[in-house]
Amino acid sequence: MKSALRKLGPAASTVLSLGALLVLWEILARLAQIDGFPPATEALVQVPLILGERESLASIGASLWRMFLGGALALCFAVPVGLAMGRNKRIAQALNPVLTAAYPIPKAALMPIIMLWFGVGDLSKVLVIFLGVSLPLIYHSFHGAHAVDEKLLWSAMAMGMKPVARLFKVVLPSALPDVLLGCRVGLAMALIVMISSEMIARQSGAGDLLFNALDMALYGDVYAMIVILAAIGFVLDWVFERVRRRLVHWAESRQDAMVPGGGV
Amino acid sequence: MMTFSGSFKRLLCAGLLAASLPATADVPTIRVGWTIPAEEAKYWMMRRPDAFPDLGKKYKIEWVQFQGTAPMVQAMLSGALDCSSQAPLSLGQGAAASDLKAYILAQHVGEKPGSFSVYWAVPEDSPIKSIADLKGKTVGVNVYGSGVHGGMAMLLKKNGIDPEKDIKLVETGFPGSEAALRGGRVDVGVFVQPFASRAEAKGGVRKLFALSDLMPNTVHVMEVCKKDWVDANVETAKLYTRDMTAAMKMALDNRDETIKVVSEVTRAPAAALEPYLLKANDFAHDPTMKPDFAAVQTMFDMYTELGMIKKPLKVDQFRRDDVVAPVK
Repeated sequence: MKSALRKLGPAASTVLSLGALLVLWEILARLAQIDGFPPATEALVQVPLILGERESLASIGASLWRMFLGGALALCFAVPVGLAMGRNKRIAQALNPVLTAAYPIPKAALMPIIMLWFGVGDLSKVLVIFLGVSLPLIYHSFHGAHAVDEKLLWSAMAMGMKPVARLFKVVLPSALPDVLLGCRVGLAMALIVMISSEMIARQSGAGDLLFNALDMALYGDVYAMIVILAAIGFVLDWVFERVRRRLVHWAESRQDAMVPGGGV
Repeated sequence: MMTFSGSFKRLLCAGLLAASLPATADVPTIRVGWTIPAEEAKYWMMRRPDAFPDLGKKYKIEWVQFQGTAPMVQAMLSGALDCSSQAPLSLGQGAAASDLKAYILAQHVGEKPGSFSVYWAVPEDSPIKSIADLKGKTVGVNVYGSGVHGGMAMLLKKNGIDPEKDIKLVETGFPGSEAALRGGRVDVGVFVQPFASRAEAKGGVRKLFALSDLMPNTVHVMEVCKKDWVDANVETAKLYTRDMTAAMKMALDNRDETIKVVSEVTRAPAAALEPYLLKANDFAHDPTMKPDFAAVQTMFDMYTELGMIKKPLKVDQFRRDDVVAPVK
């Protein structure tokens, strides 16, 4: 079996495991006969119907736009902060307690408070996504910067490179594999927070479609939206992984062995 | 090549022309919170705005959907919303606990003799025959501390059951109530439309008691606007109330179109709405949208007695007659 799968390649393994999941879902739902758990065939029928509506597509697009904005802001903010923490003990000592305290807080739980300060519009949702993505990015950037080979920095210093230049020309490239790993974790976080930020107040978005269906007990639509979100997450991760490998092909990251299609 | 003075003149002309046109920025915008289900008038305004000549010209609406009425109280208090849908309990709690100052403009839905009333049901073969049999049983509610929960607690009290000690309360939500009842996770489930008609069509459930057993004219959803916003925008508030009343009339007069509108908003298929929407087994819709202030006062008093509202409230503090439906 193992050798057959190896011959078929990673794409076939993915299709096989997804197929097995769908079959399992179908069997369990038909056995359980619960209203809130429709069979896979019933839910999947709704997917093209949802994606065929311009309004639904616009809603999903609006969510992805907010996710992109929140993620981009987090990237601009969190990577320099993480790198600075990794190379400067004082900054790390000052920020670490705050980050440790903030890390376990579910960011979506902050939504009602953020809503009070910044209103119910896109700003609040983008801000929650920004917070959700920033923390894993800071941590991975911090660890990446902390593990930079000192000899590289000594050489740069010997050549007269200033601290800020060293941060971007030596520390950032060396820490890039970790930073990109943080980006990958952040991508998954962004998708999760993107949906939960639309739970309380919403004007348009993928969460709007999901929670409306839940409010009306349209469970076929609920599961169809979950499938759509899973597919979005899968595609984004697949694309990002390709980009990551191109950027850090020189680094033999141990995480490579664990990713889908990573050779295991 | 365009010279600097030439382009400056053109820019100036464009500026003057723009200044002479009616400024769209001057059109006031109302930030309105809404929820699903049972707000047909708002759904009409959202989905058929062309049917309302003043909407978009004399005023605009920025719609924001919320999960329940309680977060809309917070949004109004924080200044993020001007108006929202409210139940008497959430409005009363906002006023008593957080000093929310607001006016009731209209009533979306309520209960009247003969209309649908929120009810609790048991499986057909359940040994539970009356409220008195609920001692030691698991009872479902939509949300802890909701108005529906309050009504149920009062009914239980009146029938000798302590709602705090004698029953086990489980929050199922309205959508999950039928599954919880049929799956045996609760002994009694709470039903509201459209889930009630769906469960009735499937059969196997029996109505045990309803909110109408407590009072015949429960108010469920009202339109409420912040006092300071209304006082500063009386004419806009009147336009809003007038259009909302017109929307309710359109909804009641054109049931087929209303089913389409509600289906667009909720994504529920028309077939799921057909058995109840705007029929006798739906909540009561008054075409004038006139709020039942007396019923709201009775509900305030009941919630105060149950300890759900911390201090007694007078409904008159939420009343301003020139903006309330039907606007003259």
